[in-house]
Amino acid sequence: MLMPIFNILIFPGLLFLFFFSLAAEFFDRKLGARLQNRVGPPWFQPLADFIKLLGKEDIIPEEADNRVFKLMPVFALTSVSCAFFYIPLWGKNALYSFNGDVVVVLYLLTVPILTYFLGGWYSRSVFSMIGAVRSLTQLFAYEVPLFMTILAAALLADTWSLSKMAAFYSAHPGYWVFNILGFVIAQITLLGKLEKVPFDIPEAETEIVAGSFTEYSGRLLALFRLSINIEMVVGISLLAAVFMPWWLDAGPIAGFIIYVLKVAALISLVSLLRSLFARLRLDQMINLCWRVFAPLAFLQVIINLILKGALFK
Amino acid sequence: MHNTGDVKVPIGPQHPALKEPESFLLTLRGEKITAASVKIGYNHRGIEKACEGRTYIQDLYLIERICGICSHSHSTAFAQAVEEIAGIEIPARAKYIRTIVAELERVHSHLLWLGVAGHEIGFDTLLMYTWRDREVVMDILAQLTGNRVNYGMNTIGGVRRDIKAEQIPQVLKGVDTLEERTKYYIKIAGEEPTLINRLSKVGMLSYEDAIRMGAVGPTARASGVQRDVRKDDPYAAYADIDFKVITHNTCDVYGRTIVRVLELMESFQIIRQLLAKLPEGPISVRAPRKIPVGEAVSRYEAPRGEDLHYVRANGTDKPDRVKVRAPTLANVQAVALMLEDRYLADMPIVVAAIDPCFSCTDRLVSINYVDHNSKNTFEWEKIHRDSIEWYKKRGIDFAKLNKTF
Amino acid sequence: MSPEEAIKNDLERKFDFLNGNITIKRARRIFVDVPFERFHDVLDYMIKKMRCAMLSGITGLDEVENFAAIYHMSPEGKIMVNLKVKISREKPHIKSIMQYFPIAEMYERELEDLLGIHVDGLPEGRRYPLPDGWPKGEHPLRKDWKGAGLEMKLEGADA
Repeated sequence: MLMPIFNILIFPGLLFLFFFSLAAEFFDRKLGARLQNRVGPPWFQPLADFIKLLGKEDIIPEEADNRVFKLMPVFALTSVSCAFFYIPLWGKNALYSFNGDVVVVLYLLTVPILTYFLGGWYSRSVFSMIGAVRSLTQLFAYEVPLFMTILAAALLADTWSLSKMAAFYSAHPGYWVFNILGFVIAQITLLGKLEKVPFDIPEAETEIVAGSFTEYSGRLLALFRLSINIEMVVGISLLAAVFMPWWLDAGPIAGFIIYVLKVAALISLVSLLRSLFARLRLDQMINLCWRVFAPLAFLQVIINLILKGALFK
Repeated sequence: MHNTGDVKVPIGPQHPALKEPESFLLTLRGEKITAASVKIGYNHRGIEKACEGRTYIQDLYLIERICGICSHSHSTAFAQAVEEIAGIEIPARAKYIRTIVAELERVHSHLLWLGVAGHEIGFDTLLMYTWRDREVVMDILAQLTGNRVNYGMNTIGGVRRDIKAEQIPQVLKGVDTLEERTKYYIKIAGEEPTLINRLSKVGMLSYEDAIRMGAVGPTARASGVQRDVRKDDPYAAYADIDFKVITHNTCDVYGRTIVRVLELMESFQIIRQLLAKLPEGPISVRAPRKIPVGEAVSRYEAPRGEDLHYVRANGTDKPDRVKVRAPTLANVQAVALMLEDRYLADMPIVVAAIDPCFSCTDRLVSINYVDHNSKNTFEWEKIHRDSIEWYKKRGIDFAKLNKTF
Repeated sequence: MSPEEAIKNDLERKFDFLNGNITIKRARRIFVDVPFERFHDVLDYMIKKMRCAMLSGITGLDEVENFAAIYHMSPEGKIMVNLKVKISREKPHIKSIMQYFPIAEMYERELEDLLGIHVDGLPEGRRYPLPDGWPKGEHPLRKDWKGAGLEMKLEGADA
C-alpha cells in the first residue's frame, strides 16, 4: 500500500521529478552559457529562482479572469507530471501502463500548451494575447510531425503502450535504427513544444515581452516555469524511451545512470540547437513544419508500415 | 473577446526590444503590421538650451555626453565648428588622433550593433560573441584615451592626449585580432541559414525611398546610396586616407548588416594607415576663450550616419546657439515605411537596423522643476525631497513603508 | 570656376535679389540669406533645377529682433547650401517644406515646439520633442524664456 504512494510522491515520482527538472534546467542553462562563451549560473540557481519566485507577490491584472488565471499553472503542472508515470525510464516498465498510454502521454504533453494559451488569453494584455495565439498556431504546426514520428515507432512495435514498445525494441535490438529519421524530426519539433530557440516564437522577448507569461508573477509564474522544466524532462524522456531503447536490462542502478546520460545527451542537443540558430518567424516555422517535417514524418510512417509487412509476415 | 479585426500593440516607451525609450504604435492584423507610427522625444534633456548658458569648453564636455556610443562624434563635430568660427587650424597630429579615435569608435559601435541585431532576432550567441570581441576595442580606447566611453579626447584647438610610440604596436595587435574575428562574422553572415532567412527581404527601403526620406549612414548605403561625409565633405584626416565607401544593393536589413561588417574591415585598414602616417608635432594649439562673431556648420560621419552641428558665436565665451542633428532623426522616419506590411516579428530587427540612438536624437528639455534662484540647476537633496513629496501627494509614504519592513 | 562659385552664380543669375546675399564661407559651405516672401521660389528652384535632394536639418534661431530658420541642404551630399530665412517676431510662421522633403516633419515640429514658430501646412501629429503635458506658450529656445513659473504650470497639467 505504501509503495505506490512512495512511488508517486517521492521516487521516481513528484519529488524526484522536481529536483531532476531543476537539474535539467541547470544543465541546459550552463551548457548554453558555455557554448555562448559565458560563465553560466551556479548549480543551485534554478532552485534559488524557484524559491525566490515563491516568495514574491502574486499580481493578477484587474481585467484578467481570476479563476482561469490562477488555475492554468496548476493544470500545466499536473498534466506534465502525470505524463511522467507512463513513460518507461530505466527498465522496460513504466510505473503505470495500459494499452493506449502512448496517445495519452502525447495528449498530456499538449495540455500545457493549451494552458499557456488560456492563461495568456485571459490575462487580457496585448502581449499575452499575441503570445497565446502564437502558442496555439505553433502547436498545430509541430504536433502533426511529432505525433506521426512517435506513432510510427509504435506501429513497428505493433502496440499502443510505451512499456510494451520498450519491451519490443529490447527484444529486437537494432530495430531502433529504422526510426532514426523520426528521431531527428521528433527532436527538432520537440523544440517547438518546449518553446526554445529557434521555435521560441510565442515568448520572443524582443517582440512580445514574455508572451503568455507577461502578466504572470510570483507563485503562479514559479509553477509555470516548473511545468516548463518538467515538460522538458518528460518530453525528452519520452524521446529517450521511444527512440533510444538501449541497455534497458542493466538493472536499477546502472539503468538509472544510463537514463540520466540519455536525458543529458538530448538536453545537450537542445542547448546546441538553441545556440546555433536565430529565432524563426511564425510563418517560416509553419512552412518548415508542414512542408519539410510533416512529409518526412509521413515517410517514416510509410517506411515502418512496409517494414512491418516485410519483417512480420 | 475581440479576436477579429485589428489589434493595436504599443511597443514602448518601455519594452524589452528597445534599449532606449521611444514608442511605436503598431496596428496588427494577425501577425501583419498594417500601420505604424513613431513617437520620440522621451530622452529630451535640454542640452541645446543648456549649451547657451555655458562656455565653449564646458559645452564640449556636455555635448560629449549627448550619447554614450558616439560621444566622440558629437564632440569632434562641435569642436570643428568652433575652430572654424575662431579660424583655428589644428595641428596635423591632432587631426590624425581625432580620426583614429573616430574609427575605433566606429568599430566599437558596429560590433555593438551586430550583437544587438543578433539579440533582436533571438540569436543570443552572436550577441555574446560580438560583445566579447568588442572588449578588445574598448580596451584599446581605454588605453589611448583613459576611458571606455566618453573619451574626453577633444579640446578646442586639438586633442588632449598624445598617442605614444609604444602604444602603437598594442593597438595594431588589437586591430589584427578584431580583423580576424570580423572575418569570422562575415563568414557567419554569408552562411547561417536562419540568420539569412530572418534578415533578407525585411525592412525594405528602395533607393528612391532612401533618397526621398533622406536616410543617412549605413541605412542609406545599404540601399545603394553613395552617401558618406568622410568622402563627400572630408574632415579631420580623411582627405589623406585611402578608403572605400561600402554600399550594398539589397535594400534590406541583410544589406545593412553586410555594410556594417564590411565597414569594420575598412575601419581596420584606415586605422593602420593613420598609425603608419601619424605625423610628428604638437597635439593642440591655444584657442581663445572668447570666440569671435560667426557661424559654422560642421558635418561628421558618425557610426550611424551624418551628424550635423550648427554653432553660432556672438563674441562672448558662450555660444549663441548650438544645434545638433543626430543621424537617427534622419533615419527614424523611414522606419514607419519599412515596417508597413511586415510581420510583428520583424519589428525589433527593422528598428534596430537603423541603429537608433534616441539619446542623440532627443537632446533637449524636460526639466520638471525649474528653480530660477539657482540658475536652473538642482541640488541632489532637492530632487530627493521633491520625489518624496511627489509620492506623498499620491498616497505613498516611504517613511512609513520603511518602518513596516 | 569652383563648383561653389558655380552655384553662387547660378542663384544670382536666376534671382537678382540674392545679389550680395550669398557668401562662400569656405570650401563646400555656402550661406544664403533669402527674403521671407521669396523663400519657396528659391527652394523650388534649388530642388528642381539644382538637384538639392538632401536636407540635413533645419536650425531655428532667435535673433532677438526676429526669428530665423536655416535650412541645411546639399546637392549630392557634397556642398552644403544653408538657406537662412528671417521670420518676424510678431507673428512667427513659415510654410512647411514637407512636400519636398517628407523628412522635414520632425525638424518642423522642433521649430514649433522649441521656438514657437508656427509651421503652416504641417499635418496633425504628436508633438516633438517636448513631453505631452508641456504647457502652451512655453518655448525653451527663445532667448527671453527663463522657465519662470513652469513648475506650477507643469503640475497643473499633470493633475
